[in-house]
Amino acid sequence: MSASTPQPITNVPELLAHALELESESRERYRDLAKGMSLHNNPDVAALFEQMAAYSELHARSVQVRAQGYALPEIAPWDFKWSCPEGRETPCLDDVHYLMNRRQALELARHNEIRAREFYAQVARESPDSQVSALAREMAEEEREHVNLLAQWISREPVSAESLLEDLDPPHLPE
Amino acid sequence: MSEELVTTSGTPMAVAITGSGGSGAVTAGMILLEAVGEAGWFGLMTRSAGPQIRGGESAAMLRFGPEPVECLGDRFDLLVGLDWRNAGRFADEIPLDAASLVLTDSGAGPVPEALLRCGPQVYELPLRAAAEAVPQGRLNMVAIGTLGTRVGLPLAALEGGLRRTLGGKGAKVVEPALACLRQGFDLGWAPFAMAAVSAPGAPERWVLSGNDAAGLGALRGGVRFVAAYPITPATEILEWLAPRLEQLGGSLLQAEDEVASVNMIIGAAFGGVPALTATSGPGLSLMMEGIGLAVASETPIVVVDVMRGGPSTGIPTKPEQSDLNIAVYGLHGDAPHLVLAPLSVGDCAFTTQWAVGLAEHLQTAAIVLSDQSLGQSRAVTAPAPEPTAHLTRLRQTSPGERYQRYALTEYGVSPMTEPGIPGGMYTAEGLEHTERGTPSSAAADHRVQLEKRRIKLDDFDYGDAWAEIRGEGETCVLTWGSTAGAVFEAAERARAAGTPLRVIALRLLAPLRRRALMRALEGARRLLVVEQNQSGQLFHLLNAHRVLPPTARRFARPGPLPLRPGEILEHILGTD
Amino acid sequence: METATPTPAVKAKDYKSDITPVWCPGCGHFAVLSALTKALAYLGLPKEQVAVVSGIGCSSRLPAYLDSYGFHGLHGRALAVATGLKAVRPELTVLVAGGDGDGFSIGGNHFLHACRRNMDLTYIVMDNEVYGMTKGQASPTTAPDWSSSKLTPHGPGVRRFRPAAIALAAGASFIARGFSGDPSGLTRLIVQAIEHRGFSFLQVLSPCQTFRPEQKDWKRQVHSIDAGPATNDVEAAARIHADDGMALGLIYVEALPVWQPTAQPSASLAEIEQELRR
Repeated sequence: MSASTPQPITNVPELLAHALELESESRERYRDLAKGMSLHNNPDVAALFEQMAAYSELHARSVQVRAQGYALPEIAPWDFKWSCPEGRETPCLDDVHYLMNRRQALELARHNEIRAREFYAQVARESPDSQVSALAREMAEEEREHVNLLAQWISREPVSAESLLEDLDPPHLPE
Repeated sequence: MSEELVTTSGTPMAVAITGSGGSGAVTAGMILLEAVGEAGWFGLMTRSAGPQIRGGESAAMLRFGPEPVECLGDRFDLLVGLDWRNAGRFADEIPLDAASLVLTDSGAGPVPEALLRCGPQVYELPLRAAAEAVPQGRLNMVAIGTLGTRVGLPLAALEGGLRRTLGGKGAKVVEPALACLRQGFDLGWAPFAMAAVSAPGAPERWVLSGNDAAGLGALRGGVRFVAAYPITPATEILEWLAPRLEQLGGSLLQAEDEVASVNMIIGAAFGGVPALTATSGPGLSLMMEGIGLAVASETPIVVVDVMRGGPSTGIPTKPEQSDLNIAVYGLHGDAPHLVLAPLSVGDCAFTTQWAVGLAEHLQTAAIVLSDQSLGQSRAVTAPAPEPTAHLTRLRQTSPGERYQRYALTEYGVSPMTEPGIPGGMYTAEGLEHTERGTPSSAAADHRVQLEKRRIKLDDFDYGDAWAEIRGEGETCVLTWGSTAGAVFEAAERARAAGTPLRVIALRLLAPLRRRALMRALEGARRLLVVEQNQSGQLFHLLNAHRVLPPTARRFARPGPLPLRPGEILEHILGTD
Repeated sequence: METATPTPAVKAKDYKSDITPVWCPGCGHFAVLSALTKALAYLGLPKEQVAVVSGIGCSSRLPAYLDSYGFHGLHGRALAVATGLKAVRPELTVLVAGGDGDGFSIGGNHFLHACRRNMDLTYIVMDNEVYGMTKGQASPTTAPDWSSSKLTPHGPGVRRFRPAAIALAAGASFIARGFSGDPSGLTRLIVQAIEHRGFSFLQVLSPCQTFRPEQKDWKRQVHSIDAGPATNDVEAAARIHADDGMALGLIYVEALPVWQPTAQPSASLAEIEQELRR
């Protein structure tokens, strides 16, 4: 993984393209996770990820509204300017487990929102373009709200002593 | 001057030529066979050899005449020895008797005891002297000339056969050979009157080996891709096909092993191109898992097995009919598929073509059981017919919204898409699957898919080609594959002697046409199953299907020696 | 004059089929699937022109999760099926997917010859150094001292199979390594592998959460190759010799002769039969 700092975002269409990619990827990933959790018989977390997917969809739509009138650039999947391996808001795939509980799933979502907020904050700081900075600051603020919302939801969840319940059954071998 | 060969006009004549150390016995045999072709006759030639790669002892065995020849018969009329070193090894394969003649060069030394034990007459001629009189002259060419007169082949036919066989080597080889041929011809006895039939009177014939014929059948059936690994005695199929596939816009890929071969042809067939491979027993064993994948994923493939002596490495250069068991039963699971066996050299073309059509149409694997005696024998034979039903793949070129590759249909065959057809995307599966093709371990899915794969084969109308049935009578002989020729000849003799005989030579062994077979057996009181293997594999298969009465007998003998008409006849007329 | 109606571009998510993967949540293969869909979308390949061939194992389940043509065949034999398919349908984009056991153990022989043949195929091996589907045995890429399998309680005790080294020795013309934890890097490598004309071998480190939970640490161990790929086999050999197995990127890319049957028809069947006639 490249450790180099990516180039700053210099224009509004580019920022919007990043925001759209962020939300769309997020929606796809949550949707896949929801299906996976459903198949693996964790309906609570499946429902939660479906909810997260729905939110990402809403956010994506609002970016599309903001993007009206702009021609968004086509950006190759590897050319997005985030400094960590993938989209800031996309949940890291290896942080999930079929036995995770709602609290853990919400933690995951909150972590993603934090990373998204930090992304926008960084853009706001580093962009040479004032319009970009302004927009990025707005988006960072929105993400901060999401973070707070999630923190509230988390606080309502019971805390369990063990981090993950152990599955007493051995793994199944389909082939 | 020895006696005239007394043979009834029309009866085929059997000749063998032996020699060693580069004496060219096999080339002589090939020339003779081509001469038979030129003369408008029919014939069959097979070969045998010692284990050496070069310079070893070899024998060419031919039988020919104005009528089609279906087997090598019981005995040889004439044995020509180019020399006698280690020729005794062929004694079992060249049965001689008191009416046979052994032709030898005056200075060749003693004829091996093993060849003399049945009392043939020995006749000497100055063959070597005649050869040495020609610069670059060779003894085997003189021998052909001499032989030719003895069997009544005209010089023109012999010369034509020589040119066809050696033409590619240029005048430096052909001219001295022709000179020797003429020398030999002049040495011969007065020609025995077996009338040559010259064109345009001659019926249309082909000259080819069983392996060539299998290749032709594949091309006629639409095969345009072959992936294969060389193995004796199947390699000639690949050699014949490689350039010709290219001529037709197809290709042959020499794979790294047989496992790769069977999987490659599955890939090609999945891609829409009829595909085939050829191997022998050891290779077929390796391919079992792959053949099962073709059955389960319903991908058409054809595997030609040119059977040889088994088990394991066995006897690679000799025939045996001992792969029936593995062909029919070798797949794990309940995996219905097709097993066919050609009945003669020419029938290798018909049967392989039929196998391709059936495999393509029924979307399954077909194993074609040829054997070394068909594959590596050369025949002058009537051109092979083509199957009457034009069988092709059931393609789905405009799939609907929810295309299901393994949809349950009335006859069990579900239309196939292939890569490139929009909307027809599916993943072919070796796992048991739903109609869509999604892996499934559900009882209902397994039941319906097993049933689908069974009924598409069981309920199909194969027409009349499932067997060749000749004659009538209460005594019935059942056989399969290359043994058919000798059985048919035995039956002819029986009929000529007043005993009517019914012969059923099976061409389709799986799925067994039980009802048709029972109908064909109606009225038969005495049954004999004849085959070339130790354990009676067809006999057991028929018993498993409850086709045979408890009184049915079998004559089963393993390779390497062919079953001959005389001994089959003895078994037929033998104890009740 | 007719203008062809442009085919609407297929979005990455539309390359996915509607079948939910059976992989454990947290499995690295999800990222490979995702990266693959992005690569196909980037290349604008129509779904019906893509075929994914696999063997047996967790990663070999991938074809059903894509809405392209697929073949889920035998353990270790995917490369052979793909070879036959590509031989007769050169215009298709043929991808081969599988794991380290399927590819380097039972599939080893076919791997050697596929590299050597250099047909225009893309081979993605999802390497998690374990046999996941059969309950966690050592695979050829497992370290000699890994003792968590009952079959090899003292560890395999055998040196690891080195995929990149063997690919090079066998004649592969494109050797790269990706990581499921670096999806955008992986997407780019997949695109480059498909675009490369010849046999592209892409090893993807893809952790198995269930049987090798310690592989979570891989994200700390991987590092990028900061130079471009080696462009000749001598340079490639040096790189691979120094390789710690965790370097990500293009290791070696060279244009080598590609094998593909190209025969055009030059005779008819009737002419071929004529040769046999007397």
